[in-house]
Amino acid sequence: MTAPGRIGLALLLALASFAIVGPMIAASPVAQPDPLNGAFLLPSAAHWLGTDQLSRDIFARLAYGARVSLAIAAIAVAVAAMVGSAVGLAGGSSTGLVGRALQRIINLGLALPRIIVLLVVLAAVGRIPPPLLGVLLGLTGWPAVARLVRGETLRLARAPYVDAAHALGAPHARVLLRDIFPGTLPALLVATTLGVADAILLEAGLSFIGVGVRPPDPSWGSMILEARDHLANAPWLLLAPCVALVLATSAATLLGESLRRSLQPDTR
Amino acid sequence: MNRWLRYRIADALITAIAAVIALIVLVRLLPGDPLTAILGDRGADPATRAMLEARWGTDRTLLQTLASFVGGVLHGDLGISLSEQRPVTTVLAERLGPTLLLGSLTLLIDFTVGLALGVWAALHPDTLRARLLGFFTLIGYAVPSFVVGTLLMWIFAVKLGWVESGGLTDTLLARDAPATAVLVDRLKHLALPLAAMVIATIAVPLRQQRTAALETAAQPWVLAARARGVRPAAIAWRHCWRPALTPIVTLFGLWLPMLVAGAVFVEYVFNWPGMGSLLAHATFSRDFPLVIGAGLVLIAFVQLGSLLADVLYHVVDPTQRPS
Repeated sequence: MTAPGRIGLALLLALASFAIVGPMIAASPVAQPDPLNGAFLLPSAAHWLGTDQLSRDIFARLAYGARVSLAIAAIAVAVAAMVGSAVGLAGGSSTGLVGRALQRIINLGLALPRIIVLLVVLAAVGRIPPPLLGVLLGLTGWPAVARLVRGETLRLARAPYVDAAHALGAPHARVLLRDIFPGTLPALLVATTLGVADAILLEAGLSFIGVGVRPPDPSWGSMILEARDHLANAPWLLLAPCVALVLATSAATLLGESLRRSLQPDTR
Repeated sequence: MNRWLRYRIADALITAIAAVIALIVLVRLLPGDPLTAILGDRGADPATRAMLEARWGTDRTLLQTLASFVGGVLHGDLGISLSEQRPVTTVLAERLGPTLLLGSLTLLIDFTVGLALGVWAALHPDTLRARLLGFFTLIGYAVPSFVVGTLLMWIFAVKLGWVESGGLTDTLLARDAPATAVLVDRLKHLALPLAAMVIATIAVPLRQQRTAALETAAQPWVLAARARGVRPAAIAWRHCWRPALTPIVTLFGLWLPMLVAGAVFVEYVFNWPGMGSLLAHATFSRDFPLVIGAGLVLIAFVQLGSLLADVLYHVVDPTQRPS
């Protein structure tokens, strides 16, 4: 793995530990007992990153927000990887009508812009709990994975060792799961790592426009939205969520690019 | 060629129609009744409710909805926006101009400056400046557009006061203001959204062009041309640049939809009155006829982009031309 890749991996692990440990050591993320005098405090021993307009501890919001944002991203890529590889494997290995139908479905999924599907669903259902938002992000992210896995499946199906497995009399399902599926894993791993960055970005963006994670649940995106209204008098509110968000997406991108270089040297 | 093109256009149309139908079916299958959500705690007596249901068509079956939607589209009617109480087409038409302005300028800069920087980076692979460029473009790629936008707003609008922080024009600007004042006002409003869009997107064409330029420069035909004594300019232009265009054409097709909705988050930051901020507000107020209408436009652009990319692909790469 390249040096940037190692940095990305270390950063991701650090952020994940922060999401687990942070809320345990942080103050309460809800408003302080004295909201009038407790708002817009600068960083201090009691409030490591200060407090926001509602006198909430920013470090605590950041830590709980890390849990929400990273958990949503993890659910999203897991769902996308599972649905995408199932459809992709089936589509790449089926011939005739089923194969063509699956290809049509994948193309249809790709023709529907992800942001539009997300917004349409959010407009129709309104408020949505964070885990379901993760599932929703996954269900809108699978077509790209499916196209990738389908392509890999088609490529691997022509490999000599797959021919050999067929010649030895291995059943179709066994060849697919034991011989072809492992071969698609490198591409899947790269796409999933880069998908983490996409999912974090999308969740933050949706929360930023007020339709993703909604108050009182904290999210880095909604923290930036709230900080935007106080740019003139309390610009430091912007700093913590922006840094966290940028670190998370950069880390996933660096790791993904590095994995691509080591696992798929022939692409790019 | 003509037969291929006809087939390709038909395919794009069918895919677009299927995508729109999928979108409508999706809305109907989802739990949650928008009417109840909009009425909220106020509620409504049964007669009023029935009237509202009939008016907004929430009492129809899925097939009736689909039929009336398709019929409406054929007549240029996308229904009534729930939050604005005006035809969806009217609202969309108002928003299309600002979005096209922002999107087309972004695409223009991305595919001129971005490509030029990509070629430059490929020509100077191991210099410090190229590494710095690579580093900053990667950062620009990883930093969310609305974070870039909010930071730019804080620095250049709030702190320095050089440009405006939101909107399309200054509403207080006099009607009879001279043309230069109007232009300056426009540019002051455009500067930050455009900068945010470019910073967030330029890395992709830049890196693709750099990779493509490096790859084609290493091809045997480039060496052969050099050995034949072809002028360096002709090598760069005809032997390197043209083959390197293929991935760029694909990217351009993929990005064409950005003209109409690439800027949902940036438009929201700067209150830019385009399709993106419209979509954000429509989603928040659960105005799904408006969201679906905008989705229809976006789906059309997605298909248009992929169609255009396929056509350009054949122009760029003669070996790909269908016989």
